[in-house]
Formats: sequence, C-alpha cells, structure tokens
Amino acid sequence: MTDNTEVMISLKDVNKTYPGAVPLHVLKGIDLEVRKGELVSIMGASGSGKSTLLNILGILDNYDTGTYYLDGVLVKDLTENRAAELRNRMIGFVFQSFNLINYKNAVENVALPLFYQGVSRRKRNALAMEQLERMGLADRAHHLPGEMSGGQKQRVAIARALITHPSIILADEPTGALDSKTSHDVMNTFRELNDEGMTILIVTHDPGVGAQTNRIIRISDGVIIPDSGIVTPDNICQCDA
Amino acid sequence: MKIYIFDTDNWREIGATLSRNKTRTFLTAFGIFWGTAMLAMLWGGASGLEGMMKRNFQGFATNLGGCGGGHTTMPYRGFKKGMNWSLNDDDVAYFRRICPILEYSSKINNNGAVMKYGTKSSSGLIQGVEGDYFKMQVPVVHEGRVINESDVSGTRKVVTLGKNMANELFGSQSPLGKYIEINGIYFQVVGVVSQKGEASLGGRMDDSAIVPSTTMRRAFNMGTDVGVIVFTTVPGYTPTDAKPWLWRAITSNHPIDPRDTNAMWFMDISEMFEMVDNLFLGISLLALFVGAGTLMAGVIGVGNIMWIIVKERTQEIGIRRAIGAKPSDIIAQILTESIVLTLVSGIAGVCFATIVLQVVDHLTYDPLLGSAHFELMFGDAVGIVMSFLVLGTLAGFVPAIKAMKIKPIEALNDK
Repeated sequence: MTDNTEVMISLKDVNKTYPGAVPLHVLKGIDLEVRKGELVSIMGASGSGKSTLLNILGILDNYDTGTYYLDGVLVKDLTENRAAELRNRMIGFVFQSFNLINYKNAVENVALPLFYQGVSRRKRNALAMEQLERMGLADRAHHLPGEMSGGQKQRVAIARALITHPSIILADEPTGALDSKTSHDVMNTFRELNDEGMTILIVTHDPGVGAQTNRIIRISDGVIIPDSGIVTPDNICQCDA
Repeated sequence: MKIYIFDTDNWREIGATLSRNKTRTFLTAFGIFWGTAMLAMLWGGASGLEGMMKRNFQGFATNLGGCGGGHTTMPYRGFKKGMNWSLNDDDVAYFRRICPILEYSSKINNNGAVMKYGTKSSSGLIQGVEGDYFKMQVPVVHEGRVINESDVSGTRKVVTLGKNMANELFGSQSPLGKYIEINGIYFQVVGVVSQKGEASLGGRMDDSAIVPSTTMRRAFNMGTDVGVIVFTTVPGYTPTDAKPWLWRAITSNHPIDPRDTNAMWFMDISEMFEMVDNLFLGISLLALFVGAGTLMAGVIGVGNIMWIIVKERTQEIGIRRAIGAKPSDIIAQILTESIVLTLVSGIAGVCFATIVLQVVDHLTYDPLLGSAHFELMFGDAVGIVMSFLVLGTLAGFVPAIKAMKIKPIEALNDK
C-alpha cells in the first residue's frame, strides 16, 4: 500500500455498548483504516464483535463514540432516511444466505437498489442485465432464486451489490453456504472485482477465504489485534480460534 | 421520490404478495366484498322497500284528510250522549268558507248499487263525488273523462265507470256514450278509469261507478246529508291543522259539546305517511348499523392479513432496508397493498350488490306502478367505497408502522 492511495474507510476509537441489565461493551476502541482498492478480510471468533463491526461499517447500526468516515463522509448519528440513502449509494452488501427476494427473478433482484433511487424500470433492467452478463449469468436473468444454484444466487447477489457502483462491498460470510468449489469461484469473482479497483471487505471465519485476501484484520474481544496485516502462512492458522 | 402507482414492479409485488397465500387473501377479500355488498344491498333494499310501500299511494294525495259524522260521547243541551249525527251541506259550506288552508275538498256519498246494461248486470259501489275528488286521487283514465265541476253543478246524469265494471258490462265494447241503469236510474257513461296505486277512498275505483254527488243525492233521495268530506291542505299544513275550523263549522250547526271531539270521525293520512317515513328511517338506520358492523369486521380482517404479511416478510423488508429502502418506501408499499385489497374487493362488492338490486327491482317491477327503486345512488356507492378505502388505509397503518420499525440487522439475523 502506498500513501498516495486515498482512504476509503477510517474508524477512530469506535466504541459500542449494547445496553441492558448487564451492559455489553462489544467494540472497545476500534481503529481501522482501509484504503481504496484493498481486498480485506475481517476474521474473528463468534462473539468477538466482528458482526457488530460489520453492521457499523454497513451503516446498519450506530456506534456510541468515535468517528467513522466512509469515502470521506462522516457516518454518525444519521437519520433513517440518510442512512438508507448512504447504504444505497455507497455500500454493496453480499450475505451468507444471499438474501435475494424469492418471488423476483434475477434481473429484478439485481435492479432493486436502483428502484429505490427512482431509476426508470427500463433503464434499471438494462443496467441489471449488464451486471448479470458481467457475472456470466445472462442466461439465468429471468430465473427465480429458487431455480438457481447457491453459487449462481451468490453471483446474483454480487451483481446486485455492484449495480449502484458503490464505494465498497461488504461481504458477510459470502461462502458460508457454498461448497468448496463454488466458494472458490465466488472468491475468484471478488478477486477479479478487486483487480478492477473495487474495495472489498469480507467478514469470515474461514481461513481459506482469509488467505485469498490481501490483508487480514483480526478482531478479538472487541479490539483489533495489532499484529494483523498482510497474509502470511503463519497467521492464517490462528484465525480459527 | 418515486411515484408508486406508475411502477409496474409495485403492482407485480402486490400481486405476488397477495397471491402467495391465496386462501387467506381470498377470505379477507371476501370479508370486505361481503361487507360492502351487505351495506350496499341493505341501503338499496331499504330504499326499495320504501318505494314499494309508497308506490301503493300513487295518485293519492299524501296530505289528505277526511271527516264524517258519528255519535256523541257527552250529553249536551238536553241531548243524551250517543246521539247520531251526519255531516250536511251546511257544515261543508261553512267549513269551506272559513278554512284558509284548504286546497281541494270533495263530498263523498257511498252506496251499494246494481248496474245494468242490456242483459248484463253487475253489483258494485256507487260514489257521488265533486270535481276536486280526482285531484286528490288521480286516476288512470282509460277512455273519455272524469266527472267535473259542471257535471256536479248541472246535476248531470253522467257516470265514470271503473275498469272492472266496464269490462263486466261491456266486454270489449267501448262504453263511452252508452246509457247504463244504476238502481233503476239511467246514467250516460263519460269515462272509464282505474286507480293507480293500492290506496283508495271509500271503495276500489276499478269496481265503482262514480257520479256527481248532486245527481246521486237527488236521484236516490238522500237529502242534504254528506257521507264524508275529504280534503287536502295547502303545502306546509297538515289536515290536522284544519281540524279547528272543521270542528267550529260542525259545532255551530249541530248540538254537540265543543269538548266532545270524539263525536267526529276524522283521519289524517299525512300522519300515516309520517309513521311510514319514520319506519323507513328506522330501517335505513338499522341497515346502516348492520352494514357498518360487517364493514368493520372486513376492515379488521384487512388489518389482520396485513399484520401477518408484515410478519412473514420481515426478512424481505430487512433486505430492502439494507439495500436502500427508506422507511417511507416500506410504509407506502404496505399501505398500497391494503388499499388495493380493499378497493378491489370493495368495488366488487358494490357491483355485486348493484346486480342483486337490479334483479330484485326487475322482479318487483309493476307495469302500472313502475319501479320500486331498489337501487343505489351513484353517490352512495362512491361513498361506501370511499369509506371502505379510508378504513382500509387505517387498517393498513398499524402493520405498516410495524414494518417501518423493522431494523435491517434484526431481520437479516433472523435467518
């Protein structure tokens, strides 16, 4: 990484506590920087706070103190509408369980984010078709999710994440529901996208997935382990704690 | 801001959601359908019943009063109670002179009669009337004319025959200008009439022979006694308002205690009409009440199904929120669905009710009396659908708010 690439994600001393009878301090002063064009994985055991971190990065949840800049925009204390708008324009989500709408076909699913931007039906379907072609799924365009394999569904989901040309793609265990061969294909897709300059952040507990990223950020008990960085054969093994 | 109704995706989505559980959607839609249909049918049915009742009075003045003699219930000036008395020409003349709110009035004398033409004979009723009679009970004139004022003042021996009577005596022949014998006296037939509705004064007009009252009393030696007098009052007054003048005329001519108002037979049709009006007001209110109850049940059904739909779609709503749907987008989506559900089934209900009312109207149609008006005013139909729409929207509101409050993370974790 060179210093002249711009910073895409910048977290400074981010804290998050879930209130309750026994307040739960999940994130304890997270400092994190991801530069444009990086392919990063966040790894940690369950309960480590990685899901909470992902939710905050995805503007799906609030944090209590600290600052979070996404592509130069301060993400803090947003209204529901503003948060929805930022999610729509700046973030592409890819989920473990695909989260496609099962009564809409592939094109409609991919086009859905543009629907919430007010793009006309004809135009957004054309753009969705482009993305599906890019994913090699043009022949599945009019199939419902139920008629597709897991790998195809995940590529439809990636196409949906890409359609708004987001600043960043957040993937939550994207290969968790796939067999090893399909996982490999999906990871290749991510790598290709990264080669084209897309910033991608993958949350996973699968060391094989982590190994295919350029940097691993380890999180444990609400703090980032300082050592984490460029992938080496040594630190891959530690991740499955 | 997106314009929802112009996006086919929305309609496709609504269709997809509602068809996902066909039975439940159908039952809910049927609830509303039945609610609107009930309300519309009861509404139109009440108007039809009223129409059926009122068309019996067609041709019959609704502010008609009648008065006749009777017997006293109090002793007065040496006369014992129970004395019989009759209305006479003096009473009527005095009443007509002093009563300022009188519109039309006619004396009526009734008698049984045997009528003969050639070898045929028939028994029926003979009525002696004055010209105004036919203004208070407007007949259907099949041929010729009705008895008029100059027949009365000229004491002409003319008769207006009821239709049934004319058929019995003349068959298919026209009776106009022919002479018939009534109780031994010859009268010339000047017209054939029948009554419009079911209500009649004295006897059924179709079975009567109507002659000038002057002629009748002279021909049959009836003196100056008047059977009854019928009258109408000018608009804004009821016959009961004319009663004091009538009573003054009677008590000044007859030895009757002014306090003994029971000595006079008196009727006021308008009171009956008022009763009928109140009855139908009651029926309308009942219809409204029952219909509104059904309607509420239907609307609660919509709220219920929308609630279930929201619960079922928690994950989908979460996905939509994650990829950029604003809370208002979600509300609009849920509300549109409940509006579409109510609107479609509501309109279907009103259409169904209209067809039913049309059939009933057809079945109760009377060639002479016409339609009973089993029908729904267009405005009422629109009103019913609109009130359903408002209630359907309100019913969708609670589930929509619930949907809006769904947090994307909660929904997405709910795998």
